[in-house]
Amino acid sequence: MRDTIHLVAVYSKTTMRAWFQYRVDAFLKSLAVFLREATGIIVVFFTLLKFDTLGGWNIYEMLFLFSILFLTYGIMIIFFTGLRDFGKTVRDGSFDRFLLRPRGLLFQIIFVNSDWFAALGHGGLGIALFLISAGKAGINWNVQNALYYVFTIAGGVLIQGAIFLFIAVLNIYLLQTDSLKEMLYWNMRKFAGYPISIFHKIIQTLMIYVMPFAFVNYFPAQYLLRKDDMNSYPEIFMYITPIVGIVMYLVAYAFWRFSIRYYKSSGN
Amino acid sequence: MSFIEVSNISKTYKISKRKSGVPGMLANLFVPKYENKEAVKNVSFSIEKGEMVGFVGPNGAGKSTTIKMLSGILYPDTGEINVSGLIPYKQRKEYVSRIGVVFGQKSQLQWDLPVIDSFELLKAIYSIPDDVYKKNLDRYMEMLDMDKFIKQPVRQLSLGQRMRADIAAALLHSPEIVFFDEPTIGVDVVGKDAIRNFIKDLNAEDGVTMIFTTHDMQDIEKTCNRLVIISEGSKIYDGTLDGVRKLHGSSRQLDVYFMNDSEVAEIPDVEIVEVDKRHSQFIFDGKKVHINDLMSHLLGTYNVKDINISEPDIESIIRKIYSREKVAG
Repeated sequence: MRDTIHLVAVYSKTTMRAWFQYRVDAFLKSLAVFLREATGIIVVFFTLLKFDTLGGWNIYEMLFLFSILFLTYGIMIIFFTGLRDFGKTVRDGSFDRFLLRPRGLLFQIIFVNSDWFAALGHGGLGIALFLISAGKAGINWNVQNALYYVFTIAGGVLIQGAIFLFIAVLNIYLLQTDSLKEMLYWNMRKFAGYPISIFHKIIQTLMIYVMPFAFVNYFPAQYLLRKDDMNSYPEIFMYITPIVGIVMYLVAYAFWRFSIRYYKSSGN
Repeated sequence: MSFIEVSNISKTYKISKRKSGVPGMLANLFVPKYENKEAVKNVSFSIEKGEMVGFVGPNGAGKSTTIKMLSGILYPDTGEINVSGLIPYKQRKEYVSRIGVVFGQKSQLQWDLPVIDSFELLKAIYSIPDDVYKKNLDRYMEMLDMDKFIKQPVRQLSLGQRMRADIAAALLHSPEIVFFDEPTIGVDVVGKDAIRNFIKDLNAEDGVTMIFTTHDMQDIEKTCNRLVIISEGSKIYDGTLDGVRKLHGSSRQLDVYFMNDSEVAEIPDVEIVEVDKRHSQFIFDGKKVHINDLMSHLLGTYNVKDINISEPDIESIIRKIYSREKVAG
């Protein structure tokens, strides 16, 4: 155990060093990610200045919804960069190197690389939006709500991590899943910035049961904000984000375990 | 029971057969067709502790697949591999902590970081005790002459330096078996020699078992005493390097240099290679063609400036073996 923690520390030190070799470049790249994502938010911001509310949500409530999405992604990418890039790892043969090291495969994939630019860009935006919105959205930050917030962020990280893991496993069978990820993950994520109640039933169903982004930010935000549109969903949905995260991750992990045998027996 | 025991391993890859054109693309998507390619067919061999064995064969012969199965990356479809009681592809973690692998074409070092940082990371990955790490590092630093570049980022190293660093990286945890996949590819002559000498010394001093794959017969000549030739997935030779030479022992090569430009006429049972107008090679079987007859024929017919007789080099022998059917192992 101590050995593993030590290794994680060395891995983190190494990846940080590699990413921050060129400090100015690192700063600019993180800033670029930040600005790219922030542009989308600014559009929403100005739209709402005109319309006041969207499906009953005012600007600060909306920004709070966004903040959870970005913060969870920022944290998630620290751990799951290796899964995001897993297709490349398999294609260029680096995965063989993992197989040659006396450590768990998923452990290596998770800790061997972290995209700190994406982490700082998305995470930084998430924190900025949180700071802008958390006070003005009218949330009572007592101990109970703060604790809820922490657990729900962890759950949201796990949900997205599980999706990444699942798509990464598909690489073992398909070798090229970038467009699949674009379709499943990124397109659905575009909806997740808004209260799902404004969308057609089909999209709502997708967001709850297929790519459950609704559990990443919408239902948790509902717990803290209690908007009227929550009435159309079961109340329990506001409490189960961490469970959804854990269950999804375990399922994805089982799929991974099953498939890795296939990799070893089939080559590539 | 030998240290490494490989019995009757086979491996078949499924290769998707792609059709072209729009209808073909749709067909690929919905009814993918696969073709089976037998990469390794029923290969067996055993290796003793401390041996140095070279695997050679043309591209796509099945060398790499064999090495991948031996190092635990792939399961064989049939057959078994046993390395001192361990099954590589089943007891992966335990097994790989006892082996080292150098891929000549694929560095395991961190591209943007100094060499020493990669070593420190490997120390943590393999849980190498401080004293062992220090001892090995000092030793390899000296043997591979690394102190000049150990603090430089890998991207700034020459190919020869990078390869030396990669070899040291694979050895830091004192493995019992080391696999070298094309360890001298692209390295200059001096660098190649440094690498070969290091490998030889390490084998002599520590008794590390070493398994190579290479295209460079010089690698084998200068390091290994045993050679396994693989062609089209099958083992076609397993024995000493001298043994290969003996199989073709009666073959001779005569290099003739002429005083002036000469057209060489055909001679029965002799293969003639015209290098240039004033230099031709005559390759023949010493048992079939008598050297005296050939020489007097040549001296009588042409205006000869110089003559040199030699055994064909190992490369041309191997090339001959590839192109021929199985030879007795």
